[in-house]
Amino acid sequence: MRNAAIFVFLSLLVSSMLFAGEPVKVENFTLPDYNGVKHALTEFNKSKAVVLMFIATQCPVSNGYNTRMVSLFNDYKDKNVVFIGINSNKQESIDEVKQHAKEHGFEFTILKDDKNIIADKFGASVTPEIFVLNPSLEILYHGRIDDSRREAEVTSRDLRNALDEILAGKSVSVSTTKAFGCTIKKID
Amino acid sequence: MRSRLVFLVLCICSLCGGENFLTAQTKDSSLTVEPIGVQGIEHLLHNRSGKILFLNVWATWCQPCVEEFPDIIRLYGQYHNAGVDFAAISVDYPDEIESKILPFIDSRSVPFKVYVTNIKKDEDFINALDSSWSGAVPATFIIDANGKQKSAMYGQKPFNFFKTKIDSVLGSK
Repeated sequence: MRNAAIFVFLSLLVSSMLFAGEPVKVENFTLPDYNGVKHALTEFNKSKAVVLMFIATQCPVSNGYNTRMVSLFNDYKDKNVVFIGINSNKQESIDEVKQHAKEHGFEFTILKDDKNIIADKFGASVTPEIFVLNPSLEILYHGRIDDSRREAEVTSRDLRNALDEILAGKSVSVSTTKAFGCTIKKID
Repeated sequence: MRSRLVFLVLCICSLCGGENFLTAQTKDSSLTVEPIGVQGIEHLLHNRSGKILFLNVWATWCQPCVEEFPDIIRLYGQYHNAGVDFAAISVDYPDEIESKILPFIDSRSVPFKVYVTNIKKDEDFINALDSSWSGAVPATFIIDANGKQKSAMYGQKPFNFFKTKIDSVLGSK
């Protein structure tokens, strides 16, 4: 109960600070990818933006975005934008994450957040849920990829809009949106 | 002539797009799935007629939602005569009523009202229910008899957790 209260508080804090235009800085972290290779966030500090995507292998909403995630990666990989998937679901194993990435052609790094420590630090609760960081590890955008689970009904490509503004040297005009999807299954 | 008239009425109903016109029924005529929009949610939350509301947001594709549904049906059995209304809003799509939602509620003989959101944008749906909700399903809300939210529970919860929350709201009624 106490953890839940802290989690809600952190989520609201991140959202309110972003909404107020104050940069929220996150701590560096290190997690293994599905091959066991460890990656630190600071590895990517030469990039223009780091897109952290909390994703899942079993969530139909997250899976509904698989092709959109591949398109985003392909469209921005040569623009010095790094995409990193994070799987924090307790019931989805590293082997499952690896197999899922292979099946769906994910070329971006996917980290396994055992015990959902990083999800808790970010206040992430949903898959898919996005955080875009600058090289100083400040959150520039938090929320959804776009505004519809059905790709044909999308009217607002919020993540693309944020990335385009960052690449153009502008501040992100819509820095917070609501992600919608499956609850991240966390350890009790 | 009669079939033309029926066809005309059906066309008018679908053009109206009203929430009630799209209601679909199961084999058991007491079970229905009714699309609900912002106004419908507002009405559901705030016109309580002296009863508490236990409202679950779920989807047929959401495994934790499916897993906790039997507990919610058990809770209905214990509390529906004790001043607690039960309802569920599915975040499947209205065009999935026949293919997904009805088979689900039919197979479990869901005894309370089931809606499906017909709000186009998920963020509008989230804000209609609770702007502080992250949008993760399942989510469950308890609204008191005055239409005030007393509890918001995110993620799958066990039977006793829900029971304690309901008892707490009933106790302060």
